[in-house]
Amino acid sequence: MDETQRRVDEIRQESSELENHIIDQFIDGKITRRDFVRRGSVIGMSIPLLSFIAAACGGNNETTGTTGGGTATGEVSSGGNVRVALIQPATAPNPVIVKDEGGAGLIGSTGEFLSFSNAKLELEPRLAESWSPNDDGTAWTFKIRQGVKYHSGAALKADDVKTVFDTLSDPKNSSNALSALGGVLSPGNTEVVDDATVVFHLDGPNGNFPTLVSSANYNAIIIPSNLDPADWGKTFDGTGPFKLEKFTPKVGATFVRFDGYWGEKANPDRMEIKLYDDEAPMVNAIKGNEVDFVEHFSVSGGKALLDDPSVTVIAIRTATHRQLHMRTDKDPFTDKRVRQAIALSMDRNALVDGLWEGKADIGNDSPFAPVYPSTDTSVAQREQNLDQAKQLLADAGQSNLTVELNTWNGFEIPDLAQLVKQYASQIGVTINLKITDAGTYYGDAVFGKSPWLDSVMGITDYGHRPVPNVYLSSVYTSKGTWNAAHFKNPQADQLISEYIGALDLDSQRVAAKKLQELLLDETPVVIPYFYNFLSAAVPKLKNAVSAATGQFDLSRAGFTS
Amino acid sequence: MTVVQDPTAPITVPSAPDQAAIARRERLRFLRRSPTFLIGCALVGIWVICAIFGNLIAPHDPEFPDVLNKLVGPSGEHIFGTDRLGRDVLSRVIVGARSVLVIAPIATLLGTVLGTAIGLVTGYYRGLVDEATMRVVDAVLAIPLIITSLLAVVALGPSRVTLILVIGFVFAPIIAKTVRAAVLGEAQLEYVEAARLRNERGLYVMFAEILPNVMGPVIVEFTVRLGYAIFTIATLSFLGFGADPSIPDWGQDISQHYQFISGDVWWPVLFPSLAIATLIVGINLVADAIAQSFER
Amino acid sequence: MGRFLLKRLGLATITLFLLTVIVFFGSQVLPGDVARRILGPFADQRAVDALNHQLGTDRPLLTQYWDWVSHFFRGDLGTSLSYHAPVSDLVGNALVHSLKLAAFAFVLVVPLAVLGGVVAALKRDRPTDRIITLGGLSLTVVPEFVTGIMLILIFGLWLDVLPVSANAPDGSSVLTQMRYLVLPALTLVILLFGYIARITRAGTIEALDADYTRTAVLKGLPRRTVIFRHVLRNSLLPTIAVVATQTGYLIGGLVVIETLFNYPGMGRLIFTAANQKDFPLLASAVLIVGIGFLLATLLADIAYSLLNPRIRYAAAE
Repeated sequence: MDETQRRVDEIRQESSELENHIIDQFIDGKITRRDFVRRGSVIGMSIPLLSFIAAACGGNNETTGTTGGGTATGEVSSGGNVRVALIQPATAPNPVIVKDEGGAGLIGSTGEFLSFSNAKLELEPRLAESWSPNDDGTAWTFKIRQGVKYHSGAALKADDVKTVFDTLSDPKNSSNALSALGGVLSPGNTEVVDDATVVFHLDGPNGNFPTLVSSANYNAIIIPSNLDPADWGKTFDGTGPFKLEKFTPKVGATFVRFDGYWGEKANPDRMEIKLYDDEAPMVNAIKGNEVDFVEHFSVSGGKALLDDPSVTVIAIRTATHRQLHMRTDKDPFTDKRVRQAIALSMDRNALVDGLWEGKADIGNDSPFAPVYPSTDTSVAQREQNLDQAKQLLADAGQSNLTVELNTWNGFEIPDLAQLVKQYASQIGVTINLKITDAGTYYGDAVFGKSPWLDSVMGITDYGHRPVPNVYLSSVYTSKGTWNAAHFKNPQADQLISEYIGALDLDSQRVAAKKLQELLLDETPVVIPYFYNFLSAAVPKLKNAVSAATGQFDLSRAGFTS
Repeated sequence: MTVVQDPTAPITVPSAPDQAAIARRERLRFLRRSPTFLIGCALVGIWVICAIFGNLIAPHDPEFPDVLNKLVGPSGEHIFGTDRLGRDVLSRVIVGARSVLVIAPIATLLGTVLGTAIGLVTGYYRGLVDEATMRVVDAVLAIPLIITSLLAVVALGPSRVTLILVIGFVFAPIIAKTVRAAVLGEAQLEYVEAARLRNERGLYVMFAEILPNVMGPVIVEFTVRLGYAIFTIATLSFLGFGADPSIPDWGQDISQHYQFISGDVWWPVLFPSLAIATLIVGINLVADAIAQSFER
Repeated sequence: MGRFLLKRLGLATITLFLLTVIVFFGSQVLPGDVARRILGPFADQRAVDALNHQLGTDRPLLTQYWDWVSHFFRGDLGTSLSYHAPVSDLVGNALVHSLKLAAFAFVLVVPLAVLGGVVAALKRDRPTDRIITLGGLSLTVVPEFVTGIMLILIFGLWLDVLPVSANAPDGSSVLTQMRYLVLPALTLVILLFGYIARITRAGTIEALDADYTRTAVLKGLPRRTVIFRHVLRNSLLPTIAVVATQTGYLIGGLVVIETLFNYPGMGRLIFTAANQKDFPLLASAVLIVGIGFLLATLLADIAYSLLNPRIRYAAAE
């Protein structure tokens, strides 16, 4: 018997039912190689193993799609000082309260996670060597890497993991991490079995759990149990390949290689993060050679970079999107025909090309982004159709409407709002724009005290998440805390819990298809696009890795001569 | 029948109102011949016409986006180029005059009315009221105006009404100071004493007697502050306090497009900037000429 | 002189007190809840209430006012709610930046404007005068961001000779730092030139027309001596007063220029603090700017009265 085949059989014998199921799906050609590797890594199979099986078993060709998520790999000189432009965080560097890209970038510079969610949405092991679910997905066991040291010299202990997740999952701490862990993991349910094993006992079956404790949950860096997160900003203590040299609030920080790192030592000698209040200065900085890497820039603000041949642009497909919600319980949007009409008035291709220079995927009014493996791509794409829209409005008896649209003035949102206004005017709907700032728009983020949740129509920004679970449960369920459309549909509720509990890709896709079709029909929310995450690097800088969550990994980066 | 002048009739000196009329005529004559005034009026006039007839003059719909043709440079079709949503910059510059030429005069009027009232009261009554008010005014003026307006707009939220109220109230103290100084001068004069002897009430003395005689400084203040109002409105819009970005507004349009300069996209920024500059310079030339006319 | 000084100080103190009241209660008017701003919209309401209690923002206003003021004048400016750093550090840093820019602009504009004003006065009503006066006026009234953008377009983009942001890399030499500050300083110079030149011109004209000047000329002193010894000294008096009144603006009012050039000065600090309802930072920063202004005007008044005997004696009566 073929040596490779024998090896594969061995592996399959050692694998769980779930893991075998995935291998079967791949061999049968039901999922692509890319999806196989991604899905497999999420449930805890190591990437080298997955690659081996994929090579051994043939399977489908890899579809084109995500770029690698980094600059071209190449020969680089060792050492060097990499300078990064990062947007100013709104809070102090406290891992529990950090809530934006700037904060995530800062804490991720020295802190490490159980696993790293890369640009292809695969999970690479870091402080966790491996993980696996129990039979119904209600408990996940993680093997913690041994012999890891913090920059301060202390040893990594399994207790540290427990402390971190007990803190993050506790509503009293109001961490941004609750958006991932709320309703999934409760405080106290993280169990330390021994020094090398931690078991998470979940509130319910969850097939995507490992992603929720990976770097995708950017608050979840592992820090010593006895370090108060509020003091973390003084030392930036972590286990990562870089350690802090100096931090000046509002200005930036410098880092040096950590020689006690458990893995391959960082290539650069130093890394420097410069904080910028705005995008324009960042764009100027890389063009003016004041930084080597811009963690994130937008299409509108960084047009100069997109057109510049001397700048390398790294584009990662993501699930970042905007939601145009319409309150299903208030006039004029109680009738779904009116909602559909609004959705049909929009020229999504023009939005993708005009607002994003083509660097976005078209959305089909559900949070199932094309980049997710569980998305069913056979569902028909909604296109602009002004005649049908006008007809629907006439049928609903609402041919001359006036509505107020609330939103805030960040990113491209004002542009989108103005375009939505124009499209609507073409079918006889007058939209009055009320654009304020984020604080005003979000208010207290509870019903009754937030224009976001109370307005008849609004635009909200949703950052990337590696799985759609949070969007579904928070936005579309009857009790969802982010349900700005006040959408209450028992069938949707049912399908959502089916999706979340599904442990394998097949069942996930089945539920997804039904949900996608339901949401397309009901249209409580219009989702016009999912746009790419863009980073920029100077051409001499190689191996700089970006992730759609806004974190970056420069440990392998270096300069060619 | 001819009327013969009666030599025993009292000699008539032109009364105060008549003297005022003569002075006014003199001033108008000066203004008509002042190049400063004329150029200023021309500049302002162009923008007033744009404000009123903007939609008729503009070659394209200033609010209609054409997002596939965004940020196109000046060309035959779009003389000033297009902006970030593909709208015609020339049309937005023309119609944009309306926004500022509606808010600024109203705000300045509000400030002038308030400031004049305060100036009259403190200048006439003096004493504790005057001292107390002036201390408060000094305290408020210790903070740079832009900071005060900025804080007020953050507090009240961006909207046209807010801008009017904020600018009106922020300008009132300065105008009050100037009017007060003028009133102090007037209050020494005989007609005021005479009115007091007649037992006229304070309000009457202030508004019916003194006010007409300080109208000069008041008018000058108004025209000067009008320039500042436009300055402040444009600045506040630039800092991000505009409400609806689809409505053309010079300051807001500049702030929305400033980031594109580094990409050599200068037209959506240059033309509204020139518009602001010409309008403000025009108003200040007019104000300057009026001030000079009162000095004669 | 003593009585005059005392009276001025007394008035200044009252104004200062009023300033603290206005600043404190003014910043209370800002919308949004402090703890909510810090923790963000998605924080649990209980956490928000707990933080509010911890920060003391739920105490009666008068108590908070007294707390703030008494600490302020003892040198404790409080802790920034959004940066979790001492306000004095943040303000100190920003102040240094603002002062650098102000000083640079100052050093450029004062000699230039005084020269312009004197020349305009000497050549009164002739073309040179009209150019200087009207030109200066036209440049002064244009908003700083317009002038700044023009300068950026011309020198930063088309000619590409000067950097577009005001922040020199860390550890640059003084000369390099100055190079980065040229465009923002130039914007300020353009803004202030017209006003200062005009005041100087008025003061010079008044001095030229004054009796003592005519006496000096009649005594046969050469024109040059007359100008330098008598006229200049007196024409500078109003200039000093004007420069003092601009101090408040130069330190705290440069929000627009700082935004344009990404410069971390006091103006931008105040702006950010207002948007984040970071009350301790906002109040202390604004108060410092106000105090700076009051101090500057007080010093200017003293200087003025020292240089101008007439005021001294009039006040003494």
